[in-house]
Amino acid sequence: MRRILPLLILAALTLVAAQALAQESITKLAPEAFGKFQRPPALFAHDKHNEKAKLDECVVCHHGGADGKQDKSASTEGTPCADCHKVKPAGKATGLQRAYHKQCIDCHRAKGKGPLACGQCHKR
Amino acid sequence: MNAAYEFVTGPLAWIAWGIFLLGSAWRLISMYQLAKKKDASSWAFLDLGFSLRSIVNWLIPFNALGWRKNPLLTVTTFAFHVCLVAVPVFLMAHVALWTEFFGLSYATLPDNVADIMTLVVLAACLVFAGRRLTQKDVAYITTGKDWLALAIVALPFLTGFLAYHQVFDYQIMLIAHIVAGEIMLAAIPFTRLSHMVFAAFTRAYMGSEFGGVRHARDW
Ligand code: HEC
Ligand code: HEC
Ligand code: HEC
Ligand code: HEC
Ligand code: HEM
Repeated sequence: MRRILPLLILAALTLVAAQALAQESITKLAPEAFGKFQRPPALFAHDKHNEKAKLDECVVCHHGGADGKQDKSASTEGTPCADCHKVKPAGKATGLQRAYHKQCIDCHRAKGKGPLACGQCHKR
Repeated sequence: MNAAYEFVTGPLAWIAWGIFLLGSAWRLISMYQLAKKKDASSWAFLDLGFSLRSIVNWLIPFNALGWRKNPLLTVTTFAFHVCLVAVPVFLMAHVALWTEFFGLSYATLPDNVADIMTLVVLAACLVFAGRRLTQKDVAYITTGKDWLALAIVALPFLTGFLAYHQVFDYQIMLIAHIVAGEIMLAAIPFTRLSHMVFAAFTRAYMGSEFGGVRHARDW
């Protein structure tokens, strides 16, 4: 037992570290808020994407706001979109699926680069 | 490839919808003028009550005598038409595009349900094709126009299904699907598919003639 214990601790630490690393580098988006998914998770390699697309300003995507008013100057990186955008929104508010689609697709259309069609992001 | 996708979902979609809507209006108006000129008496006995009576009775499966004669064809026809209309109108991907382009959103079918309904349409197309090939009386009156209508309907479903499952090259298949869908829309007023526009009037005519003139049922 005494010889196995350090090994077990090492293994546990590696697992924790691997998990932390995995969280740092997002490659796909599948927020739990949706519950059941109809489509495969959208491809989005966070850091690589922003490097390739030359997006230095975090606030381009991570905006703030409250009470139905968007605040395009308040940066909120680290706050999940789902905290402010509900899957089933009340009234005119932007729903979660719409929030992702509008943000991602509008920019790709404007820049003439990046995926526009369902299966390019929701790859099987 | 983005440019091709933007072209088929942009200008080409406007053209297809324009041909479908204006073409349908034109076909209805010219049929109305022709009927008034050549068959004025039919207009005199056209009756809303008898018309609706005929339409409703033919909409109920196995209600009309014609429906009871051939059960396989009746089931196939009803399943086919329900799926044919419901899938393109309520498909989540189609509604997502209405939202993307016009901010419109409404109820959608779950993807797996729409997927099965798509297979129902394709299976029905096979039944219709088999019948035209094997049943002598039907084969006798079948023309190229019937095959064209069947192909125009089957293609958007076949390509849509393959694109959804991402079989073969996704982007090429999706563009082929959208073009096939637009061909179907534009072809509705000018092919056998025009019965979509005329069906209600055909039944109204028959219903009124049988109800008001012959005092009989037409179902
Ligand atoms: C192209 C849009 C975009 C840009 C630009 C962007 N992000 Fe993000 N980021 C996202 C999305 C989308 C998520 C996932 C959020 C969600 O699904 O709720 C995310 C998640 C995060 C998370 C949470 C990661 C985790 O493990 O949960 C952090 C932290 C983050 N971003 C930091 C940044 C920083 C710092 C910058 C600027 C250098 C930045 N982001 C720029 C889109 C972007
Ligand atoms: C701190 C809260 C908050 C966070 C976090 C947040 N949003 Fe928003 N967002 C808002 C508010 C408030 C609005 C304006 C009201 C509305 O449209 O619902 C808004 C509006 C939007 C709009 C519509 C803007 C327009 O041009 O019409 C989009 C798209 C959007 N958000 C996408 C996102 C995405 C994607 C994320 C995650 C990367 C995100 N939001 C994170 C609060 C937030
Ligand atoms: C502010 C602009 C902007 C926003 C917002 C944005 N993108 Fe992009 N995206 C780009 C650009 C520009 C490219 C093309 C990069 C290149 O190939 O040069 C791109 C490329 C991509 C690619 C292809 C990557 C590759 O390796 O070829 C994917 C996938 C993608 N984006 C997903 C997303 C998703 C998902 C979102 C929303 C969470 C998003 N993008 C939001 C600008 C943006
Ligand atoms: C630019 C990338 C992009 C494109 C193009 C895109 N989506 Fe999405 N979609 C996302 C992101 C990001 C999310 C949120 C994270 C997730 O669910 O993967 C999302 C979420 C969804 C969801 C909710 C989650 C689920 O799986 O039930 C559905 C449904 C969906 N998309 C369908 C579609 C359809 C249909 C199309 C084509 C009309 C489409 N998307 C095009 C990026 C995209
Ligand atoms: C303007 C024309 C059209 C456009 C822009 C369009 C667009 C689309 C898109 C984006 C998809 C989803 C592909 C994916 O999930 O990756 C799709 C799927 C599909 N579409 Fe269309 N479409 C059009 C016309 C039509 C028409 C006219 C029909 C049928 C009459 C049709 C039937 C289908 C079917 C059956 C599917 C696949 C459903 C499944 O198997 O789950 N579409 N279409």
